[in-house]
Amino acid sequence: MSERIPAYRLRRQILAGLILAVAYIIVLGPIVFVCIASFDYGARAYVIFPPERFTLESYWQIPQRYWDALWVSVRLAAVTMVAACAIGIPAAIGVVRGRFAGKRLILTMFRFPLQIPSVVSGVAFLQAYYAVGDWTGWHGVGSFAGLAIAHTFAATPYVVGTMVTALQRFDDSVEEAAVILGASTMGTLWQVTLPMLRPGIFAGALYAFMVSFAEVPMSVFLTGSTLLTFPVEVFNSMQFDFEPTILAISTLVTVVSLFVVWLVQRIVGLDMFVKVGAAD
Amino acid sequence: MKARWELILIPPAVLSAAVLILSQAMFLKGSLHKDLGLGRLSPMMSLHNFLELVADSYYVESLWLSFVCSAAATVATALIALPVAYILARMQSRWAAVLLSAVIIASFITIVIKVLGLLLIFSAEGPFNSTLKWLGLVGSPVAIIGTIPGVVLGLMYYTLGFAVLLFYSVIVTISRSMEEAAEIHGATRWGAIRQVVLPLCLPGLAAGALTVFNVSMGGFSSTALIGGGKVLTLPIIIQRTVIMETNYGLGAAVAVLLLCTVLAINVWSSIILMRTRTGGLV
Repeated sequence: MSERIPAYRLRRQILAGLILAVAYIIVLGPIVFVCIASFDYGARAYVIFPPERFTLESYWQIPQRYWDALWVSVRLAAVTMVAACAIGIPAAIGVVRGRFAGKRLILTMFRFPLQIPSVVSGVAFLQAYYAVGDWTGWHGVGSFAGLAIAHTFAATPYVVGTMVTALQRFDDSVEEAAVILGASTMGTLWQVTLPMLRPGIFAGALYAFMVSFAEVPMSVFLTGSTLLTFPVEVFNSMQFDFEPTILAISTLVTVVSLFVVWLVQRIVGLDMFVKVGAAD
Repeated sequence: MKARWELILIPPAVLSAAVLILSQAMFLKGSLHKDLGLGRLSPMMSLHNFLELVADSYYVESLWLSFVCSAAATVATALIALPVAYILARMQSRWAAVLLSAVIIASFITIVIKVLGLLLIFSAEGPFNSTLKWLGLVGSPVAIIGTIPGVVLGLMYYTLGFAVLLFYSVIVTISRSMEEAAEIHGATRWGAIRQVVLPLCLPGLAAGALTVFNVSMGGFSSTALIGGGKVLTLPIIIQRTVIMETNYGLGAAVAVLLLCTVLAINVWSSIILMRTRTGGLV
């Protein structure tokens, strides 16, 4: 009997390992494949596998417009991140700490943009910007600010989600101890509360940044001919004129994203991300 | 300390409500104006656009196609995400954290890059078709561009990452000792999963699956790229009507149709969760 248990365990582990291996090949396959193919630059419109050669040629050929689009996306994601935190952090604190009726309703309102398909939001902002343009003369379509407002709208629910999770885990007695020991309200906020909420803030900020950085549907409606974000630039290139340099720039973006997300995960821990995924 | 925390809620709440209501009101209003061509809208309000949605089978068929693609994508996603989520939730080694983190990282990469990889894998000379050819299964290469299975595959990649996280967070709340107890009492591993774990997390998994379905209903980028203008789901029709045909009124009406469908499914999923979960803010 005692010898059979490890045999069962072993069989289970092999089965589990096989399932995981197949699943991860499926999940990560396309991403890894883009990276592999980027080193196999040739004058053909398709990519063959296994790669015939290894060259950095496509990396040197990356056209300026991809770098421009990447710079737009990075700035946009940074602005979105700051704006989403400025709205989402006080919102979450107010909802969790405040004493008022209708909390659930307010929280539903903050989460509501998650329920709206991005294409619908794209149409909504397009028409809202046209209307606002008629009234005030400010035209949001094709402008950086117009994109930033729409991206902030989509990203704020993620900040609210991570912050609500972080606040609910928070032990109120630590704050009370600080006050008893003589800290002022502001002092408690800056020296006790905010540092303890840091994982929630970091995770929310990362979500906001990446949601904006990866966003396509709204941006398709709201980017003009001159102001293109990186995913929209790749999207357009794939629809109209595929070229191997897309693979190179996509690989660079993937590697940098990997590193940033990994770094933030190391700082804040995994559970922050898992819980927000569940709150979506 | 009796701080009035609800006060700091006021500016973000007012701002969010303003943006939400302004944008939604504008497009709801837009859907009530008939298109006059060249992007101009009739000043008169009417239900003309909605009548057109009902009258033209094109839109009803598109809604149905969106349903079929999303349902198939949800099943495909669940078939991969559920076993992975279960194994990761029960894994005791430190590899679990590494594998989970890989899923999170993958879900942050823009879908456009994933679709790029899919198109390479499934291209005529790509590894998928060369393997099939090598095995002698097909004469001519199998294409995914412009096909419904291709679109379903794209939607699956769109939802796979967060589906794993969603299911993981449900399964991880079910104590491992429940399964062990079942096994001690003679249940097989599969029996313990089927009779103990599954009933316990079914509401959470069902709600998760509905979320995946909803996200697929709104899936745009992968469908636009893989569908190649041949698979016209609702999000694609919205984009074409608004951007290519500049029929803002009609496009808004189709968007209302998509929004209402998605919201109805959301309400349904909340009801499932509320029946089983009581109390708690979130």
